[in-house]
Amino acid sequence: MTKKYDAIIIGAGVIGCPIAYELSKMGYKTLNVDKLPDAGEGSTAGSCAIVRAHYSTADGVAMAYEGFKYWLDWENYLDNVEDEKGLAKYMNTGSILIKSQGHDWKKVQRNYDEVGVQYEEWSVEKIIEHVPVADLHEYWPVRRPEDPKFYEEPTQMLEGAIFCPEGGYVNDPALSAHNIMRATEAKGGEFIFNAEVVDIRTQDGKTAGITLKDGTQIDAPIVVNVGGPHSYLINKMAPGVWEGCNIKTKALRHEVMYCPSPDGYDYLNDGYHMSDGDIGCYVRPEVGNTFLIGSEDPECDPQEWVDPDEFYSGKGGHGRDNVLSDEQWKAQCYRLGKRIPSLQVPNQPKGIVDLYDCSDDWIPVYDKSDLPGFYMAIGTSGNQYKNAPVVGRMMAELIDACEKGLDHDNEPFQYKFKYIDRSTDVGFFSRKREINYNSSFSVNG
Amino acid sequence: MQIYVCVKHVPDSAANIHVIDDIRIDPNLAFLLNPYDEHAVTEAVKIKEQHPEAEVIAVCLGPEDAENTVRSALAMGADRGILVQTDSIFDSIETARILHQTITDDGVPGMIWTGKESIDAEGMQTMFRIGALLDCPVATNVVQVALGDNKAVVDSERVGGVVYTYELDLPCVLGAGRGLNTPKYPTFPDVVKSKKKPVKTVSLDAGASSPDGASMKVVKLEPLIQTRTPKAMTGDPDTIAREIVTILLQEAKVIS
Amino acid sequence: MSNAAVIIELDGTGIKEANWGMVTMARMGGTPSEGTGDSKAGLIACIMTPVDDSMRSELESYGISTIVEVVLPQGLETNPDVSARALLSAVKAHQVSSVYGLSTALGKDLLPRMAALAGSPLVMDCFEADARTGMARTSQYSGKTLASIKMTGERIFFGVKPNSREPEKKPVSAEILRFDASDTAIQGLRVLDVQTGDQGKAVSLAEAEVIIAGGRGMKNAKNFDILVQCAEKLKAAVGASRVAVDSGWVPYAMQVGQTGEKVSPKVYIACGISGSIQHFAGMKMSGMVIALNTDENAAIMANCDYYAVADALEVIPAVTRILENG
Repeated sequence: MTKKYDAIIIGAGVIGCPIAYELSKMGYKTLNVDKLPDAGEGSTAGSCAIVRAHYSTADGVAMAYEGFKYWLDWENYLDNVEDEKGLAKYMNTGSILIKSQGHDWKKVQRNYDEVGVQYEEWSVEKIIEHVPVADLHEYWPVRRPEDPKFYEEPTQMLEGAIFCPEGGYVNDPALSAHNIMRATEAKGGEFIFNAEVVDIRTQDGKTAGITLKDGTQIDAPIVVNVGGPHSYLINKMAPGVWEGCNIKTKALRHEVMYCPSPDGYDYLNDGYHMSDGDIGCYVRPEVGNTFLIGSEDPECDPQEWVDPDEFYSGKGGHGRDNVLSDEQWKAQCYRLGKRIPSLQVPNQPKGIVDLYDCSDDWIPVYDKSDLPGFYMAIGTSGNQYKNAPVVGRMMAELIDACEKGLDHDNEPFQYKFKYIDRSTDVGFFSRKREINYNSSFSVNG
Repeated sequence: MQIYVCVKHVPDSAANIHVIDDIRIDPNLAFLLNPYDEHAVTEAVKIKEQHPEAEVIAVCLGPEDAENTVRSALAMGADRGILVQTDSIFDSIETARILHQTITDDGVPGMIWTGKESIDAEGMQTMFRIGALLDCPVATNVVQVALGDNKAVVDSERVGGVVYTYELDLPCVLGAGRGLNTPKYPTFPDVVKSKKKPVKTVSLDAGASSPDGASMKVVKLEPLIQTRTPKAMTGDPDTIAREIVTILLQEAKVIS
Repeated sequence: MSNAAVIIELDGTGIKEANWGMVTMARMGGTPSEGTGDSKAGLIACIMTPVDDSMRSELESYGISTIVEVVLPQGLETNPDVSARALLSAVKAHQVSSVYGLSTALGKDLLPRMAALAGSPLVMDCFEADARTGMARTSQYSGKTLASIKMTGERIFFGVKPNSREPEKKPVSAEILRFDASDTAIQGLRVLDVQTGDQGKAVSLAEAEVIIAGGRGMKNAKNFDILVQCAEKLKAAVGASRVAVDSGWVPYAMQVGQTGEKVSPKVYIACGISGSIQHFAGMKMSGMVIALNTDENAAIMANCDYYAVADALEVIPAVTRILENG
């Protein structure tokens, strides 16, 4: 017996759930399928869940800033749904962007002005006032500890920072996806877990449904690929889809470290999210008065593109599996150790290794495909967590418009933001685009 | 006074262990300073802070990579390091001989520290063997130490909170326990400073002595594969509780 | 020289129960004999106290044919170095080639001292021990591997993990010999004090053999007392899932998981924990996982060794009661 839905969303992470939520609200009967046991347990759980607005394009800034409004008003977004696991919390620490050679902060500032993002300019003294443990020497360029120059004494000082008071992070990213799942269910959406998709079925050149590993067939005229690091594998299951993408996605291994805050500094309660291109790190507080240290992917760091199934089963080998590597632990912690000289770095690495679903130009693909009825919200990792609720709405409207006959490839859908007075050209995220060389080609987006 | 700290280069406890050739682990994984040795280094450095004339020397027996572990000890405050380089794996009888030889070739130990055990072989005996070779007293699972006149007063903890307070003549050998201190991990400036500290590499034949036949040899290593097949326990809470106690007693053998 | 000896460990009231499994193991794999089964030669028990009739008959019932009372210097009974030297003299005097002792708190301070002084091999925490072949089996790499270790030497030592073998009786009659080691001298180590008061001291997560951990199902901070009480009986550590920490019920130091402590106890009892992947990252190395959850669909129920669809808040107090009252 096959079940029938209006739309099947492959993936129940922080992007898959809001797409289902918005489609459900529009009257679609949705089903999310996920190979893991619960919502948000995949790469969403490994996300640093940073909510910041600094992007290198005005559209990027606008979308992120629009996202702030959802996070700041989470209960309302969820239509006050109950979640037995509780609600994810938005930790509105404020966000410091260090003015450095590692970020085109002047462009960010212009974008802030254009979009109307609230911000303050901070001097070095002002930064020290707020982050007393910081040493604001300039360490640029970013290097690795294996490089003897890594240990050279700095001579210059940085010039300051741009502070965005509305920024912060979400304390439990997996829970945020779970919350949206509960909200979706309240609107009639369904979810199945421990269900691995092995085939995208078509009929008469159109999407017909999916087949699960256990042989179950589920029918729907719409299938949305939100498979995270597995997205390229799912695109390959759908006839003509992978071939029809000019922009491809791949799984990139990424490590995030947890290092205890220096004695006497209550980073958890007094700290800020900080993007520091001068040392190629971003940080935010984590439970246990810990610094969560992410990497801004400096050029000197190796990029490990991996097979997601090998990676998650721990079979990729050193630097290719889901075990932290000592070299990267030292690289990220010592880089932050330059900015925060009192940071003590334990010998045993502690943190998260997970995968980015990364596109060729680090800009996501939010699009239809060459197969009618098949859509994708992929290549999102590294910097799209914060946009998830916006993407949910945008994708739902795009799908609805395409199903109603819009020729999105030729007349790109224009998405009107709900909160800020602005529209965005969804064609910017097209699978057919040429590689966007304006991108930072990093987590910075 | 020279304080020697024996440090071991061990696989990260969080790493996946793969057995190869039925006898050894695949060494292609992250290694680091044995966690118990971190307490030993921290304590030795603390003693040096109170006795500035003291010198803290980290000694390690291991492969070339083990220099990283020696460097970790230096970053934590040890003054210099000695790496007895070998690709062979030794039992604790040989290890103790080599470490003892290396230490006595290098200087005059006032104290020798080890961790109370290594998290790889878990033998719990090397400190006693070094003590026997040096003919000096030993205490293990040390959770507190005070230096007196040619003496050390230490608290040695046995499981269950029973604490023995010993007075040991110096030199002595002490095995550090978790309760001893909070490890003092290096800051980046500490790491920079430690780059300049010397590590002497000794090739093994210089330090080895011939074995007399007593040995322990791992002849087979098997991975403990945890494939869990859940079995249900049913009934009212009392019935389930009784079943849990039976399992703990008979199958897991963690209570008696 | 082919005798086997066991070192009998005492508790407040007499001979510890845990000895009998070790005695059985020593007997079955004790001294050279034809094939398997009980050895023909008798087994020596070294005991550091005068043996009364009831002790004697107990020892006899498990196949001990020679009881050696080791007389320690007066006032130095608590000195592990003196005990080790005295015991070593006793086993040497009785031509013992294989020595069995318990790998307990006392054993860990005694057996390595003896083996070190003798220059003899020793395997601690072994759950199989065969003196005929010199083979011992123990776990290594934090419980991730099993090692078979071959010992060679004129005398070998086994530190036997308690409960490794079911005790089996084999009545014989025993002679009692006295070994006077009262002249054993102190060599650099003096016992100043023994404090036994702090029995209730919390066991650390990293070292615990048993961990009882609570999650959302604990409902509040107060209910963690239920786990603490049971943990005291089990000499277990109490852990928590991230939810319990985020909710402020317990401190961060108790958190097990990707962002907390990574643990590898023999037994992990998960109480009201759903078992997210992030939690598993911290406890998947556990030997045995027992899950209690009211939700039969909780992920942990499919990835454990034993589970019960039950409220931990009812089951755990019952476990505590059984441990208290037997």
